[in-house]
Amino acid sequence: MGLPDSEMPRRQYLRGLVATGGAAALAACLEVPGSGTDVPQGDPGSRPARQHAWNDALPTDEDGNVRRPNHHALLALDLTTEPDRAASERVESAFRSLERAYAHDVAGLLFTVSYTPAYFETVGAESPVPDPEPLTSVEGEIALDGFHALVHLASDDPAVVLEAEQALLGGASEPNGVQMAADLAAVFERADPRRTGFVGSGLPVEQAEERGVDLPDELPDEAPFLMGFRSGLRESQAPEERVTIQQGPYAGGTTTHVESLSLNLRQWFEQNDQQLRIAEILSPHHAEDDVGETGEELGTSTGVFPDIADRTAADASTRGIVGHAQKTARAREDGTPLLLRRDINTLDGDRPGVHFLAHQREIADYVRARQAMAGEDLDGVGQRLNNGLLQYIFVRRRGNFVTPPRDLRALPGTDA
Amino acid sequence: MSEHDTPRRGRTGTACSRRAFVATGAAGLAAVAGCLGDSGGDSGGDGGDESRDGGLPDGVPYVEDPPEAVYVPSHRDPFLMQSPVTAGDYALLPHFSYPHRFWLVDGGETEEVLPTLDDSLHLMVAFWDRQTGELLPVDAGATLSVSRDGDPVETVAPWPMLSQTMGFHFGDNIPLPDDGTYTVDVTVNPIEAVRKTGGFAGRFEETRTATFEFEWTDDRRRTLVEDIEYLEEDQRGKPGALEPMHHGEMATGNGDTNGGGMDMSDMPSPSLRPAAAYPGTDLGVHESGDVAFVVRYLEDSRLATGDGGYLFVSPRTPYNRLPLPEMSLSLSLPDGVVQLGQTLDDELGMHYGGTVALSAGTQFDLVVDGPPQVARHRGYETAFLDMPPMTVEVDQ
Repeated sequence: MGLPDSEMPRRQYLRGLVATGGAAALAACLEVPGSGTDVPQGDPGSRPARQHAWNDALPTDEDGNVRRPNHHALLALDLTTEPDRAASERVESAFRSLERAYAHDVAGLLFTVSYTPAYFETVGAESPVPDPEPLTSVEGEIALDGFHALVHLASDDPAVVLEAEQALLGGASEPNGVQMAADLAAVFERADPRRTGFVGSGLPVEQAEERGVDLPDELPDEAPFLMGFRSGLRESQAPEERVTIQQGPYAGGTTTHVESLSLNLRQWFEQNDQQLRIAEILSPHHAEDDVGETGEELGTSTGVFPDIADRTAADASTRGIVGHAQKTARAREDGTPLLLRRDINTLDGDRPGVHFLAHQREIADYVRARQAMAGEDLDGVGQRLNNGLLQYIFVRRRGNFVTPPRDLRALPGTDA
Repeated sequence: MSEHDTPRRGRTGTACSRRAFVATGAAGLAAVAGCLGDSGGDSGGDGGDESRDGGLPDGVPYVEDPPEAVYVPSHRDPFLMQSPVTAGDYALLPHFSYPHRFWLVDGGETEEVLPTLDDSLHLMVAFWDRQTGELLPVDAGATLSVSRDGDPVETVAPWPMLSQTMGFHFGDNIPLPDDGTYTVDVTVNPIEAVRKTGGFAGRFEETRTATFEFEWTDDRRRTLVEDIEYLEEDQRGKPGALEPMHHGEMATGNGDTNGGGMDMSDMPSPSLRPAAAYPGTDLGVHESGDVAFVVRYLEDSRLATGDGGYLFVSPRTPYNRLPLPEMSLSLSLPDGVVQLGQTLDDELGMHYGGTVALSAGTQFDLVVDGPPQVARHRGYETAFLDMPPMTVEVDQ
């Protein structure tokens, strides 16, 4: 299995392979000199008790914002067997093997394992999270995640994401040179959809060019997100403690919501100018000089809390336009955001989109933040028109999950 | 007339000036239009409008330096009509034209949107309630999903728009990759952002989708360009407006039929009722920013939500009485400010209203906090922006 005969730089070639997935992509990936080598191995004993405790392992940018890993896969799984003690031990053994194979680091592998209400129904236990449902009036008939478990795999090295996925499903027995003591294949099978994504300066344009997806020329080459602007700045992210479940059987865990969206970047970039984009993504009070081409002037804060957020309703009725950040900042508790965003850009299906993955203490926190973003309470803006980003985003799918603490991640809620 | 200087910001990076000029195929309509019409060239008049530098606006002559009011454009556009389709209680009329220049409104400013060379057509959908025949001129967050042979081409939330001939509709310029047969799923979402009263209370709460197909061919492009009707030069740019189309005269093109069991004569007039048709105490028809505001006071109204009567305000365009949605209005009364809410009523139609106690001799200001945020077709882009308050007095 060799590389295609092309002039494509190795780095670009590798990045596209996460979206392709599978053993062939992995094989191609690993034949490239320098890929999948020098990946640090890890120690399961040093992993934190909270699966979602990634921040200590993530680098920060020059402003001090936590930077997300570059490459991601969201692996959906369905149970194929009645869970019992043996199954639970096998699942835990597979995850521990991955932890030995890769360091808890962006050069290694960060991952979480989460479970849906459908899983709990199957195993006959009460679900700690509600069934997913449409949250706003403009969603219509969306898909709802009904598979059983979700593994979120993330690394700066695309080969690690692919190899870890293959290893879990039984397609790679020695990831990063470490023998898998077990895999998930006897307990789970792959379910739909397989989702992939990426975050990082320059990646949206690079990925789109590589896959032949046509994006507007106005998207800056160095933009970290498909809509052009940085997001997830420190001041608008919930601390990990704020999203951690405090009591009950899953104390120390978190909940996860994944909202998959498609984007209309043609309207966003070709019909708006930069000032209007800034008004809609931040607020009508932000000037271009305060923001910069891709949000580089913002530092660690969107600057909307508290004053500009407080002006949201007044801006709707007197200016006829409100920004996304100012609307969503209304859903804070004592000034602290409710959501820890780990959303990723995607070109799944060769269409631009976002897999908006967020952790929060309870799903109700997500609902509160999402309804603040919908702004259905605001007079003077439309259901989409001049209402933040709603003109340009289309919800396709939602899923609710509990992400248990690490010691309960293998088939929770069973007698095992 | 207002001295307000309308800021006009051309969109960044006009594709016309940068991209290869393709004169054939689906992308080439602007080119065809450019060949047949005077493409405008130099902006002359007001200068400073960089977006015209490419010499290819949407390919037809336009009024340079238009007045800051509703004006007669240089031409009347042809439309290819589809048969109406139904989606639950909604009736939808799809129609299309060549890619258009239009203006988005954000707050008090307009932003000019030029068609790009990728754009193939301007797709529009008008919609109304099948039960009552009332227009529903609100932003229902509709989406259009265009596909060909099951492959997605484009999903877009079309802009709520206003044109002199069509009135309120949803529309956008859409790029198509090639000639062929396209399928469009139109989804209308629940109407949540406005108050619904009378027979409309509790209605329009379901998401509904209708589907239609259309052919995109060289013949159709030619029809759209060749049927452009140019007005005499001495009419262009004058205060006034093109006649709104009414049923029976709407089908200027040979639209596809979808066998939906309706025909175009079911389409209600895009115009609102004349001022005299509304009930209540006549508080006058007031003017601001070239909008006519019909103001009525309804004592003991079913629409009032507390003590007092109901103040009814129906803003409409001059000449053809088209509704103006997505506007923010308030009353500045001696004892405080009352916000008016956009309301859909099965008997009074779309209007703005609020509960207030008025008595003879009361004077108040009707204040436009935000002008109508609907996108504008030609002839409306300089009006309805700078809108000073109006003083209303209840007669002794």
